[in-house]
Amino acid sequence: MTLSKLSLRNARRQAGDYLIYLVTVILSAALIHAFNGLVFSQELLTLSSFMESLPVFIIMASILVIAVTGWLIHYVTAFMLTRRSRELGTYILIGLEPGQVARLFFLENLAVGGVALGLGLLLGNLIFQVLRAVTLSLFHAPYTFSLAIPPKAVALTFVYFAAIYLLVLWKSRKRIRTMNIHDLIYYEKKNETEAVKKSRNRRKLFTISVLSGLLGISLLLTKILPLALLGVVCVLVFLYGFFLSFSSSVPAYFDRRPGKKYASHTLLIYRSLSAKLNTMGLTMATISLLFTVTLICEGTGMLFSALFESRVDGSTCFDIFVGTEASGIDADDSEEAPQQTNNNDAAISDSSATAQTAAPQANNPPAGASTRSIQNPESHTESAFPEFQPYLEYVRDQVPLRASMQYHIYRGENLQVTNYIGENASYYAYYDYDPLMAYSDYAALRKMLGYSEATLEPGHYIIHCMEYLGNLMSDYNDIVNIDGNRLSPGGVYTEHFAQKLWDGNGRGFLLVVPDECLVSCPVSHSVYGVMTSVPLTQEQDDELREIHENHMGGNAGLTYFSAGSFTLMTRTSLAREYASLSACTIFPLYYLALVLTMASATILTVQQLDESTRYRRQFTLLRKLGMDRRDMSQTLLKQFAIYYAMPALPPLLIGIPILCAMSYAFEPGTITGIAHLAGILGTALGLFFLIYFLYILMAYSSLKRSVLH
Amino acid sequence: MLQVKAIEKYYGSKNNVTKALDRISFEVKEGEFIAIMGASGSGKTTLLNCISTIDTVSAGHILLNGEDISNLPPAKLASFRREKLGFVFQDFNLLDTLTLEENIGLALTINHRNPHQVRDMVQDVAMRLKIDDILDKFPYQVSGGQKQRAACARAMVAGQSLILADEPTGALDSKASKNLLEILSRMNQSCHATILMVTHDAYSASYATRVLFLKDGRLFNELIRGDRTRAVFYHEILDVLGLLGGDISDVI
Repeated sequence: MTLSKLSLRNARRQAGDYLIYLVTVILSAALIHAFNGLVFSQELLTLSSFMESLPVFIIMASILVIAVTGWLIHYVTAFMLTRRSRELGTYILIGLEPGQVARLFFLENLAVGGVALGLGLLLGNLIFQVLRAVTLSLFHAPYTFSLAIPPKAVALTFVYFAAIYLLVLWKSRKRIRTMNIHDLIYYEKKNETEAVKKSRNRRKLFTISVLSGLLGISLLLTKILPLALLGVVCVLVFLYGFFLSFSSSVPAYFDRRPGKKYASHTLLIYRSLSAKLNTMGLTMATISLLFTVTLICEGTGMLFSALFESRVDGSTCFDIFVGTEASGIDADDSEEAPQQTNNNDAAISDSSATAQTAAPQANNPPAGASTRSIQNPESHTESAFPEFQPYLEYVRDQVPLRASMQYHIYRGENLQVTNYIGENASYYAYYDYDPLMAYSDYAALRKMLGYSEATLEPGHYIIHCMEYLGNLMSDYNDIVNIDGNRLSPGGVYTEHFAQKLWDGNGRGFLLVVPDECLVSCPVSHSVYGVMTSVPLTQEQDDELREIHENHMGGNAGLTYFSAGSFTLMTRTSLAREYASLSACTIFPLYYLALVLTMASATILTVQQLDESTRYRRQFTLLRKLGMDRRDMSQTLLKQFAIYYAMPALPPLLIGIPILCAMSYAFEPGTITGIAHLAGILGTALGLFFLIYFLYILMAYSSLKRSVLH
Repeated sequence: MLQVKAIEKYYGSKNNVTKALDRISFEVKEGEFIAIMGASGSGKTTLLNCISTIDTVSAGHILLNGEDISNLPPAKLASFRREKLGFVFQDFNLLDTLTLEENIGLALTINHRNPHQVRDMVQDVAMRLKIDDILDKFPYQVSGGQKQRAACARAMVAGQSLILADEPTGALDSKASKNLLEILSRMNQSCHATILMVTHDAYSASYATRVLFLKDGRLFNELIRGDRTRAVFYHEILDVLGLLGGDISDVI
């Protein structure tokens, strides 16, 4: 038999023995290839200007993915070399030269790698199609199935894998060539070294690591960057310290409590676990760290998704929104008044001038709703709000219109409600007064937006706020004083109402008061809201943007809106922007999370399945000693469950508090309540455990079959 | 105590049947130390496996204290093994991940004994077998003889009535073998343990009170030590082995 035939036969055997590993390498190759497809897909990158940054994010994630995949391949190859050293030593014993044996091992691994890459490329093409379809659907762009993938993506995937395999196999080859027959034959029996030799030191390390973990989580929750960084270091100390010291600390605990030690199946379970951790503590710690990163990646992805979703819905309830800047804001007094750049200063002064011209008209005591707001202003020859004239003309001539309205937001006399919210909820105030709206405008807007009718009794006021403030505002029973009128609470509504930004219908909330109360109230700003009968096209959106830029004298900046300036927002542009941001953040995060989970679970599974022989010996003995089959089955299940739970528990303890802290770091209103947060955490955990459980299930069924049957 | 009645054991498929045990019958009284001898392939280990209920018989009956163990359901077999039988194997069969104390205590744990009493019971039996000072060691940290003594301790710690030893000296040097056999004798004499030992070593068999010889699955001969010295008994065993036509390597 030639060397290459022997290599091929060994490769086939290896693929069978380490099937789970092979499947993981194929899936990793497929994912890497699919995401490489995104990097080079001109079709997707030209969907929006924001999408141009997608390759950067994907490549950053790919670097980590390649590192983890490389670690997996290196770990399993070294593991196989250890387990097969006796066989390789026998080849030398029967006359093969060490160089030939090294080449044999090299070739069979290269063959396995080649097959994995080939299948990965095929599967990757399909995954790329899924990613393509998802991305196109985010942009509401048409999708047609095609198996084409940019050739550059194939080349890049090939380069990644060639680099990993050549590096790993070069190291293995070097190792085999330098070992003699004796080393190879007895390599398997060599005791694995312990990172911390003395048992007493390990026990000390255990205590330090647990304390470090508690301190680390506390520091992470402070949300202060230097302390949080220190917290990360403490968490790392915890993870590595815990797993390196566990094998000594738990036996020490049970040695002092023989009653617990000999109860039920405890003895077999904890000894089996501590023996495992004694030799693979570093690996377990690394896997636990990767799981922590996975959980945080998935949770962050979910939080970003919630953020983008809330921004699209919360920023504008209109298809087209145009808002003048709020007048009379004292930027120094507002809690989070956005900083202006020099470029924007000119725009502000320009638009201030515009607002000044509009203000006298708006500030005149209105005789009634008809002079204060205009429904379907496009039907009028001239807008009562001159600053909206260019937009109005475009809408009238180019946009299939369903309904539109121009109206004012008024300035309240004080910060009574703003202060209440600020004291009781996460809230960034922008106005230095409570914003007000006339009831007639509100009723018309609700009708235009398709919301149910809201009635306002005389002498009352309505609060319209973002969903997350709904419960808080329902508890608000104070009387407000508007222009000498004492008004009582008359209801709370929480539908989307363009309240997320500064120049919408209030920031987070707005008081709706009877029209007559606003007779002498000054105007805060004006809004032109349009509902179209069909969504705006990209071209219409671009044309509107051009109008806006011209209107702002070329100072509109890169985005349509910025704090404190004259704003143009369209649902189409927001949706596209957040679709791009979703693709740029969520895709790489999930890509990373998926590969990290698979690689880590594979290492755990390969280790576990390698123990089949030892487990079989153990359970054969237990059967001879008279252990019930049910007891054996339970013991195996518990040993198995604890083995897989060990590296997954610290990530839960670390990841969940971090994600909770992160969720509150996002802008107010992103998380609408505990149930929303629980849903996000549940989905992140569900995704993680779904993949993890698949591996556990495969390993358990295989182990149970080989051990108990 | 133990009655083996005309047991037979067949292996293989329809076209290729091997008869491992052929109508074997004998009786073991309480407190006896019996050695079963024979050449390789004579059926010694098969007989031991059938008695220990690890394997089933094809025909015949095995009665322990009057109870037919050849027809017990699996759940009862397990409880029978853990309550009545103690095992000593050639390769010790200690779990590498447990200390000697834990390996011995394992038999009690499986028997659902009070966990608070386990350590004391282990300590007691370990003192009798002179391994009480190495109880905190793992199997890889002690010698073969010490491992086998730990295995003996495990076989008797739960008060098992019948100890089955399969080539217990097979992996030991001569000094450790002698030591172990003396321990087995002491267990038999002072603790009244009933021992059934399979061996192909005449020296080991000479410690028994009775020796059964197997050849090709059949009971070939029986020797009872009676009042004879161990040395005389040893020579008698060698004589029977000569008649058996066993290979010299089976004798020494």
